[in-house]
Amino acid sequence: MKNFTVKGFLNQFISVQAGKKVVDDAKTGEIRDKRVSIQERIGNGIKNFDLKKTIDVFLNGRPHEERRLGDLYIGNTGLYKHREWRGFKDTMYYFNMIWLYNYGHMVMDIFKGDEPLAFFKGVWRYRWMGQTYLSVMHWFDRGLEGLRGEALKASAWHYRAMVSETIRQFMRMFAADKKLHLGMENEYWKKTIAHDETVSGNIFYPWRDVLDDVPLQMIPYFVSCHVNNKTVLNYIDAMQSIGLPADPCPMCQAESGLFVEDDYPDYSPVMVTSNEACDGSVATSIITDWFLDRPLFAMPQPMRFDDPLVQKHCQEEIEECWKFIEKEMGVPFDFEQYKKYAESFNKLTEFEHEKWDVAANTPYYPINGVAQALYRIYYSQDGDREIWHETDAHVKKILDKCVKNKIETFPKTRHRAIAWSCAPLYYSNWCTWAYNCWGINTIINMDSLMFDQMLRTDTYEHALEDLATFNELAPMRSMAVGGHEHIFQLWDYMERFNCDMVIMYDQLQCKGMQGIKGMFEDEFRKRNIHAIWVPHALPDKRTVSRREIRSIINDYMTTVMQEEPLDPTLLDFDDSESW
Amino acid sequence: MRDLKHLIEFDDLLQEANNELVQQAKNEGKRALGYTCYFMPEVLLDLPGCFSVRLRAPRSTSPDIATYYMSNRTCMYGRCLLERALEGGYNFLDAQMATETCTVTCRFQEHLQMMDVIQNPDFFTEFTDVPFKKNKNSIDHYETQLQAHVLNPLKEHFGIDTSDEAIMKAIEEHNELCRLITEIGEYRKKENPVITGYEFQLIMLVSLCCPKYLIIPKIKEVLEDLKTRVPDEKNPYRVRVVLAGSENDDPDFTKLIEECGALVVADRHCYGSLPGREEIEVREGETPLRAVARHYLENNECCRFMEQHTMRERKDYIANLVDEYKADGIIVESMKFCEYWSYERTIDTLIFPKNFGVPTCSIEKEYVNNAVGQLRTRFQAFIESIELKKLNAGK
Amino acid sequence: MKKFIIGLLKVLGLTYVILFIVFYFDLDGKFLYYIWEPNIVTRYDKMKKKDNTKTPYEKKENVMPDSEVEKRTFN
Repeated sequence: MKNFTVKGFLNQFISVQAGKKVVDDAKTGEIRDKRVSIQERIGNGIKNFDLKKTIDVFLNGRPHEERRLGDLYIGNTGLYKHREWRGFKDTMYYFNMIWLYNYGHMVMDIFKGDEPLAFFKGVWRYRWMGQTYLSVMHWFDRGLEGLRGEALKASAWHYRAMVSETIRQFMRMFAADKKLHLGMENEYWKKTIAHDETVSGNIFYPWRDVLDDVPLQMIPYFVSCHVNNKTVLNYIDAMQSIGLPADPCPMCQAESGLFVEDDYPDYSPVMVTSNEACDGSVATSIITDWFLDRPLFAMPQPMRFDDPLVQKHCQEEIEECWKFIEKEMGVPFDFEQYKKYAESFNKLTEFEHEKWDVAANTPYYPINGVAQALYRIYYSQDGDREIWHETDAHVKKILDKCVKNKIETFPKTRHRAIAWSCAPLYYSNWCTWAYNCWGINTIINMDSLMFDQMLRTDTYEHALEDLATFNELAPMRSMAVGGHEHIFQLWDYMERFNCDMVIMYDQLQCKGMQGIKGMFEDEFRKRNIHAIWVPHALPDKRTVSRREIRSIINDYMTTVMQEEPLDPTLLDFDDSESW
Repeated sequence: MRDLKHLIEFDDLLQEANNELVQQAKNEGKRALGYTCYFMPEVLLDLPGCFSVRLRAPRSTSPDIATYYMSNRTCMYGRCLLERALEGGYNFLDAQMATETCTVTCRFQEHLQMMDVIQNPDFFTEFTDVPFKKNKNSIDHYETQLQAHVLNPLKEHFGIDTSDEAIMKAIEEHNELCRLITEIGEYRKKENPVITGYEFQLIMLVSLCCPKYLIIPKIKEVLEDLKTRVPDEKNPYRVRVVLAGSENDDPDFTKLIEECGALVVADRHCYGSLPGREEIEVREGETPLRAVARHYLENNECCRFMEQHTMRERKDYIANLVDEYKADGIIVESMKFCEYWSYERTIDTLIFPKNFGVPTCSIEKEYVNNAVGQLRTRFQAFIESIELKKLNAGK
Repeated sequence: MKKFIIGLLKVLGLTYVILFIVFYFDLDGKFLYYIWEPNIVTRYDKMKKKDNTKTPYEKKENVMPDSEVEKRTFN
């Protein structure tokens, strides 16, 4: 008994039981049956072997209806038994130009950052960093599943840009972070402006060459949640642990939870907050102020932004913000810098309009729903950066090629959908699934449609005027609050983008959207529009799981639309523990 | 204590939005103007020829149709108002002077604007944009908005006189009411007050929901009556509390607190008098409208204000009330699904005990208050904890 | 030299093949999911963190008093 261990005992016990089963199976003839069945399968395989087809699959991948993508998942993990074989060309593109290229850049960009060593400290210190950074390639996998050809390439470039900008932002945060530098304030700390993720980066153009501006919650909460939705749950729980009820917007809860968990980098002497997008954002300013405990400037936007009388007020608030930065950071306002970056940003907007034109009027648009939505919200919120221009140059080539050669990028499109309201962050790639499973092609979404005004720079007055309007029409704000007129622009956009279906996000904790739900129902009925309500709780997958979201869409497609799935293996699968 | 004059009548008036006094004013040809939030200056709605009615939905039960329109995940105040509107309870309104000061009441008012809910051919809804700060820029903006979205529409639609003289007249009447309520409220500071929090709330609510010119005489009589009212020899209350929080137009909630043994001595909530019943001062060189705009931003402790110093000062405001009204603790309530107050309440509950040494009880409630048993237990426990603290301090 | 280049190409080729295997069989994902994540999460769960609710809540001066705000002009 001296060497007895429970583990050893259990191992032996299991082995004995397994042995008994083999003996029993041999007695009942089951083993022989299995051998026969395997032989039969091999035999059938040889008999039915089609060399031509095998070569075709090797070269081009399986046709959409035969892909059986759902069979690739391992249990509820979201991991793949093996990654999808997309045909030789696309698989090699994925391997070389997406997987290898991005892993390579994820290493190289760190060393290009302000202080490479800070990256390792950051991974060691921050949950949102260590738990999400390395799983980025799975975020690509989820978003780009099933894509082929030009759509795969263009969408992947968008993902690549987001990763690059994310690295730039967190490297700046880490380089300046007092917490990673023994509480010391370094030069980076003194030259970085922290702001709410809902304050547009455009506000800080007058200092872009001298200072850097980094949104506080963008990477720790927003981006990380898309990549790995598990981290954010800690922050939501942390906020509730100090007494906040569960019903306020979970995005605001998560943002505040970063402070409660002490998981925010301390990288700036100041903070600029905003009332974008809603009451919750106003309320979280109180938490931000308390825990950051440093000069904080609130830059509210008017609620009734269609009223021409609110513009002056909004402009003066922006000017006050500029004065605040000058005063606190000791760097004078530079209108020339503003002009330079605003003009450069206009180029991004110009190309965005071109993309919309192709998306609206042709089947050749090569960017899938999730890439379009995330890239658009990211760059428009972030403001002008070099990486967006690089990416747009790559994508423009692809777009032009598709239009010129009339390449139908999503050939299995059965429905052109517009996604309205705020999307589930933990399942932003639902549209990839919807296309693969049902042929629902998400052409455009609500958040993409904002921040699309050109910024005039000929005079200071014009610049200020446009910047004010630009900020009033920020993502979420413009549609979800601030008057019903904008949210009902859905009908115009449906027509403009030639959509026949609405995916109506039902953010259960968004009071602005919940407060107008019945009127939408009435309108959908009146206009005879196919609308699928997709309930969710922004970053919190526990409220409505991804599986439930799929099931709701499945139900609509089978019972109302009476359609058959393109890939039945994707109808129902468990990904509850996936990233 | 003997019954306070008019109290039963006030209670009756609060049973309907379209109460007897509202009907009387309408019969006299005056225009009824609804509003939901303190940010809509009632004084401008009380110009000669019209009167303000702060909307309530008394005796609400289950707002079923409103829940279809606004889902069951929005503040019940907004839903109950919509339900009452759909039932025809606000058909007496000639206009809704709206503000987007919180999302759900905004959505409620948008329903009035978009759906043909109010069966009154003259009815219209007009929104005013309200700033989030108290600085000069915000006062300028607010003044412009009030001119454009309150005064001008009233003049255009109903021919209301919106001249400076008319506004001054409304301010004088408003100030008279404020003096009365403040004087009544002062009695709450006494060691053994001659008025309860419940009684005070009834008075405060009728002052918000009834035409001023009809309610002022009655409130004057209440004040006179208070002067001779003798308190019970033995103070029936074990502790004194400040009631702070979000929308609260339910006197029964205050009654419940007081039944448990805590006298509500100060009311710092959306329908309360602190702030709310301060006289409007028209400074030299200021137009009456400017004075109104400045007053409603400066005398305002709404947690919608987001300037750093303002956010912090409002904690001091409550702490000062505790001192001034000799309160033993604070009850912070918030309406379920209220984004602003969910956060404010959470922080208040942490900060007041730690930074100000004031015991604080945190309550989440519904507009239709069915959880009386649970709340009673919470209040009793809170009162006992304060008493224990007092006993320990005595040792 | 030639030998070296051939050797180098062989190493690169082998590395490429190994990487392709890692890619195709999602071995990176499996490593991160089963090994990296549980371990790093354990670290974060055990990490001692500052209780930010102890941050004092004191009065602050107005960061932008009206006197400091003047209209900006540019030509």
